[in-house]
Amino acid sequence: MPLVRHSTWGDRNKPSHESIDLLIKQRVWGISKEEQSLKFSISLVKEKLQSICAALSTGRMTDDKDVLRDVWFGRIPTCFTLYQDEITEREAEPYYLLLPRVSYLTLVTDKVKKHFQKVMRQEDISEIWFEYEGTPLKWHYPIGLLFDLLASNTALPWNITVHFKSFPEKDLLHCPSKDTIEAHFMSCMKEADALKHKSQVINEMQKKDHKQLWMGLQNDKFDQFWAINRKLMEYPAEDNGFRYIPFRIYQATTERPFIQKLFRPVAVDGQLHTLGDLLKEVCPSAITPEDGVKKNQIMIHGIEPMLETPLQWLSEHLSYPDNFLHISIIPQSTD
Amino acid sequence: MLYKYYLMTVEATSEPATGGGWRERMAENEFLEEKTFKQHCAKFIKHSEEIGDGWEWRNSKDCSDGYMSKMHFQIRNGTSVTEQLFLQVEDDFELHSDDSEVVGPTTASQVIRYEYHVLYSYSYQVPVLYFRASFLDGRPLTLKEIWDGVHQFYQVRLLQEPWSTITQQEHPILGQPFFVLHPCKTNEFMTTLLENSGKDNRNINYITSWLSIVGPVVGLNLPLSYAKEMSQHDAETD
Repeated sequence: MPLVRHSTWGDRNKPSHESIDLLIKQRVWGISKEEQSLKFSISLVKEKLQSICAALSTGRMTDDKDVLRDVWFGRIPTCFTLYQDEITEREAEPYYLLLPRVSYLTLVTDKVKKHFQKVMRQEDISEIWFEYEGTPLKWHYPIGLLFDLLASNTALPWNITVHFKSFPEKDLLHCPSKDTIEAHFMSCMKEADALKHKSQVINEMQKKDHKQLWMGLQNDKFDQFWAINRKLMEYPAEDNGFRYIPFRIYQATTERPFIQKLFRPVAVDGQLHTLGDLLKEVCPSAITPEDGVKKNQIMIHGIEPMLETPLQWLSEHLSYPDNFLHISIIPQSTD
Repeated sequence: MLYKYYLMTVEATSEPATGGGWRERMAENEFLEEKTFKQHCAKFIKHSEEIGDGWEWRNSKDCSDGYMSKMHFQIRNGTSVTEQLFLQVEDDFELHSDDSEVVGPTTASQVIRYEYHVLYSYSYQVPVLYFRASFLDGRPLTLKEIWDGVHQFYQVRLLQEPWSTITQQEHPILGQPFFVLHPCKTNEFMTTLLENSGKDNRNINYITSWLSIVGPVVGLNLPLSYAKEMSQHDAETD
């Protein structure tokens, strides 16, 4: 079913739109270079490479929907290692997994848990939690956000340490079951719609539609998810976009976990606000001064969109499944 | 009891507001602006200081926003709450890991420290109540353990009221786990309450009214003087 396309960029902006799609494809390409050192399904990566080559060789105009697919199917090659102080009955081998960028750690790591629990005694196991270089990983943040924020400029694979004891109560939310993840996910979606549509669209949906959104995410079913989610991306014909844009800006160096403010996608004169406009308004220190050296990268889904990109377009195409734009500000990479 | 009165007004059928000023605009717009939120908090804290109720305003590190904060201590014997005291934090109070030394002759009682924060939600444009509790040794209470300290009347209410979902969430300014009373229905019951108070031409403080409804459900009580104070001093501010 073709998506209703509302916001286009106009001739002036078309190049940026295509470049985002290429950037995302290049990011996947970058991952495939590392495949030699990884112990996971090679055929998966080859298949992706083939579809990229096909798209690039035909040189066809990228459809907006391709961007949605590339975002949804983004993966991060990850190596899970058991924390050295955990008590095991025999040596625990590391476990390799391709993590979906748009999902949540506790939703996609059942195999990881099983793998390590096989070498441990039941009494040494309590709630699982993950850590990267000493930082406990917040399972309630999307995986892609965690990676971009903490590890995007380090070599693949992403090395995560697995713990089964000493749950860091002061840092992490508990995740007793899948229901907790579902409740959190739906709560984010509701909050996003409160900003976009005063909650009208999501409240009009039936319970089965809400369930379909969750099941689509849980089972990695793009079409199932977007059949419902497309309604959350629509807006009245007389408006030029959503009421407010759901976004959160993260910076690992601040105590504050994220910046979230009210921001309209359209200015009073009808002009579309850009990513640059948003940053200037809510996080001016992140933007490079005219004559200065670029000190930060503004990253979404592993890429740096041009600051001229309309925010409304970003919200419709580069949001995570929870309908939020999760934006990372990280120090400029040196390589 | 004033709390019961506020609870009752929520259930009354709503009628068009007749009051003027911000209250009428609020009923139409349905939202509480951040500026108004801060003004009501300031008045609320002023009264809190007058009666020594322990509320204070805390700014975020970059000072772009802030929240109201209160801490109090509670003593429990099993599931019964015997006293609430020590509104002021004493630094060496926390060093006693053996609770019975601090509390006195009662054995098997525990001291619990409660923290309540009132933040503004941009997404729902309403205030939100965040809270957490821990034993003196730092061990946090689970939601069930917090529940055991809530008066039975409110336990029953909580199960009935759809606006009262409590979940564990990340505090948006501190980044730490807190329990939160979900804000998505706040607007509904506050609109009804404001319309009814407008009808009677009663002046109320949004924060006072809201907190008097949601607070007791999680062990936070407001002395009556808040309501009396607001009606006396709000007349000129509308």
